[in-house]
Amino acid sequence: MTATHADQLIAGYLARLADAAKALPQGPRTELLDDMRRHIAEARARESGEETDATILNILDRLGEPSVVVAETRERLGLQAVQPYRPGILEIGALILLVLFWPIGVVLLWISPAWNLRDRLIGTLLPPGGFMGVLIFGLSVATVQGPSCGGTTQFGALHEMCSPTAEQTAFAAIVGILLLILPLITTAYLAIRLRWGRPAMMRFA
Amino acid sequence: MCYILAVPTDGLVSQMRRGALEYCVLALIRDTPRYAFELIDALGKTGMLTTEGTLYPLLSRLRRDGLVKTEWRESTDGPPRRYYELTAEGRRALTAFRNEWVSFRAAVDGILQEAKKS
Repeated sequence: MTATHADQLIAGYLARLADAAKALPQGPRTELLDDMRRHIAEARARESGEETDATILNILDRLGEPSVVVAETRERLGLQAVQPYRPGILEIGALILLVLFWPIGVVLLWISPAWNLRDRLIGTLLPPGGFMGVLIFGLSVATVQGPSCGGTTQFGALHEMCSPTAEQTAFAAIVGILLLILPLITTAYLAIRLRWGRPAMMRFA
Repeated sequence: MCYILAVPTDGLVSQMRRGALEYCVLALIRDTPRYAFELIDALGKTGMLTTEGTLYPLLSRLRRDGLVKTEWRESTDGPPRRYYELTAEGRRALTAFRNEWVSFRAAVDGILQEAKKS
């Protein structure tokens, strides 16, 4: 066996083919790659005599350039290139408002076709209400805590009457920071999920 | 064949070849199911297929259109082979093409002969 690079050559060809076929729909892409893999196996089995690297190179040459085979698939199956949705002002607005003014931000999040259902649910549920939600949450905690501490909701009095322990202060600080950071993390996640500059995909016409 | 290759309007000839190729495949499996390599051998000999890999998209297309159906068969000297077989619809498509082709060829031949005489 003198085809010392056979596996490498074939893997390289198939990798280039897989790359060229990236834009094809799942079904035709899998079928094409399977057909090519089987063709190569069959061609190797048919070759009589000792297999050399040249044998493999000839098989791959006759098979054709991956881009040519993929172009043929596109034409034969009548596939059309579809430009993916390009994120724009709507998405930027949604991201900013999700943090600053949540109700409108969440509406934009659901209007925009750039996010899928999971992204939208995460954007809606995870840090409920953006910074506005945090503010409301903080106030409600303050009013609930107020009476239990000293029967007054006035902030000045609160400080005098309830002296929280060091642990309580630390805990409140951590929760507060978490609440402030969470909306930013979610927004960053949604920004990443936008996948700016996605390549065009092929669809059945 | 040499004449065809020398024609400058390569786009037209290759389009005609592409169009006719799918019916050549249907014709090759008219009587007996064949696997891809048998088709490649037969088409390669006549110069109808130069890039072997482009046969597979064509076969996928014929299968999607219901003109051929496929069946896996074990082979004695290698991996299992997928055999392509003509369906009733494929047979109808082939007959229709054959009729069209015969009258088309006759018409073009007739005109070319006339032009040569004058």
